[in-house]
Amino acid sequence: MASKVYDVVVVGSGAGGGTLAAHLARAGADVAIVEGGPRVNTRTDFNTHSMPYEFENRAIPTMKPGKQGFDSERTRGVGGKTMLWNAVAWRLGERDFRGKDYDDGAGENFPFHYKDIAPYYDKIEREVGVCGNLDGLEDLPDGIFLPPVPMKCSDRIVQRGAAKLGVKVIHVRKATLSVPRNGRPACHFCGNCMAGCDVAAKYNSADVHINPAARATGKLEVLSNAIAYEVMISDENKATGARFLHRATKEQGEVRGKSVVVACACVQSVALLLMSKSSRYPTGLANSSGHLGQDFIPHFTGGIECFLHELMGKSTVNDEGFLDHAYVPSFRHVDKQRGFARSFGMQFNYQNRRSVGWTRSIPGFGKDYKAAIRKRYPAHLVFSPYGEMLPSKQSFVDLDPERKDKWGLPVARRHLTYLENDMKIFREMNRWSVEILKSAGAEILRVAEKPASNHEIGGARMGMDPRTSVTNDWGQTHDVSNLFLADASVFPSASEKNPTHTIMALAARTAEHIADRLRKGEL
Amino acid sequence: MSEERRDALKIIGAIGATCLFPFQADELYGQHEHPQGKAAIHERKFFTREEFNVLTVLVDEIIPATDTPSASQAGVPAYIDYVANKNAALANVCRRGLTMLAKKKFTRMDSAAKTKFLSKLCESAEAARKKGANEKFWISIKNLTADGYYTSKAGIGEELGYKGNSVLESFPNCEVVPEH
Repeated sequence: MASKVYDVVVVGSGAGGGTLAAHLARAGADVAIVEGGPRVNTRTDFNTHSMPYEFENRAIPTMKPGKQGFDSERTRGVGGKTMLWNAVAWRLGERDFRGKDYDDGAGENFPFHYKDIAPYYDKIEREVGVCGNLDGLEDLPDGIFLPPVPMKCSDRIVQRGAAKLGVKVIHVRKATLSVPRNGRPACHFCGNCMAGCDVAAKYNSADVHINPAARATGKLEVLSNAIAYEVMISDENKATGARFLHRATKEQGEVRGKSVVVACACVQSVALLLMSKSSRYPTGLANSSGHLGQDFIPHFTGGIECFLHELMGKSTVNDEGFLDHAYVPSFRHVDKQRGFARSFGMQFNYQNRRSVGWTRSIPGFGKDYKAAIRKRYPAHLVFSPYGEMLPSKQSFVDLDPERKDKWGLPVARRHLTYLENDMKIFREMNRWSVEILKSAGAEILRVAEKPASNHEIGGARMGMDPRTSVTNDWGQTHDVSNLFLADASVFPSASEKNPTHTIMALAARTAEHIADRLRKGEL
Repeated sequence: MSEERRDALKIIGAIGATCLFPFQADELYGQHEHPQGKAAIHERKFFTREEFNVLTVLVDEIIPATDTPSASQAGVPAYIDYVANKNAALANVCRRGLTMLAKKKFTRMDSAAKTKFLSKLCESAEAARKKGANEKFWISIKNLTADGYYTSKAGIGEELGYKGNSVLESFPNCEVVPEH
């Protein structure tokens, strides 16, 4: 193995790495994936159909007894976070790609427009299957959708409340099959998507991209349990492969390639480059701009927990579904006088009915307490607006100079400071959430007091100016011509929309570019 | 809900010993078995027999038997013992509180006296938000009781009427609230 030189070495196997590796193998390239975690069998290794009472601590563990995986953020498993995601799949719109132009210079633009990425969204939707409704919204472009899944009664109640305020509630769009497709069954609505889907009705990169491409081409190898700690660089300033530690034995190994793609989930991608220091790159590989680790802009959420009056005391129904079935798309961005840049969207109703932590917060005890909970159980609803953060010097990723993980590798740190624009969005999105819920007829249990981060984005942004960005518009680093990034670390602007569909679309686009350059002998 | 829609909500196979996936692509993914869900059973390890007895009486004051089981019938004391055995800080809070209740001869109070005593404690902890040792004890025990009960088979199943974790052919349209 050590003597083989692959066309492409891909570090990471999630939405970015998995998509890109499969596309390159199908284009004829010899590809090796380096993945820190083990292979995971979606059919047998997850606790998809479990209930809390099957476990002494009443928490459903990620893996079944004796099954490995998801034991640290460096060692998740083949498929990465797509194994446990909620599958929400939006296209970003022109405003998301060109936010700086829309918002008087705030934040950054992507170095391309929606029309440049649209064909890759098409491609991904055909491959993975995205269900959704054609809503005709300018800000949330329609795509090639499988039939949408009906809204829950609770969604309809929220929709009715929102409609009174002129706010639109649409069907969610998810990379989960509503009809069988490409040998995968349709969703069976068991309601535990984020525990890992045992039938792969929900997209994961291992079952949908990596494994089929490996079988079909024989040109895609997966080195699992291989924790990458360095991207190697030659004297000629070319990336030559990756060094790794075996997850269990800590044995060192390396894999060589004509090109290297780093796609190990945003923060870990940044961390890998920061660890890959050399005399040429003393502050981290491909960091001549000093922007590696900067421009870290994960989403922030608010959150309201409530009970819909209309459903209180009603009999329970089997409505876990595939978690959230509806969505409130951004609507405040159209108001030029809104007083902040960017916007927010609202996910809601993605708690499942196995989550009963709220029962602690109902006051009192005894028969009344028990009755109050039974009455509210069918009516419980969580509202989770997501806001877009603007890049600032105060929010970044770096390596902890002291703390090491159990492989002796430095722990990545996330530094987040919410500034005025972020806090304006946070207050505004909570205010609107409460208004919508009140209009829908809800008893509010609590409102989040502080923003909480989710959906890691940024840290190695793309742009046309090598002084202020890490990669160009292809995800190719400005500093090293055969080194690429293919995950959300390259997003210069976060949008308020969930990032995964765009990670996959950009990975497909970068794969096409790499395949083209391999054909021309340029790598 | 109309009869027609009732059909659409048809549950094809409840998740149990074997779940059926009567779908296209079964061959590819292979039919497989899920282990039968078993309620985890924990034996008392942390609390003394006396403490455990007080705890048993206390959790049934928080969640008594009605048309469904009480907290102790749902195994909540054993769950709290399990947590206390793993969490020293919480264990101390519980132990101090249970000792306090033992001194007050809580288990021998009549029903009205128990309610009166706990109402004061609950009021002080939840409404007045006082932070004394007894208030901390109340909040901890109540949280543990709620967690333990509503994640138990009796709590989530019999009491709350949970109806998920099944295999649906399709997701039913909501018939009672029209689309807007």
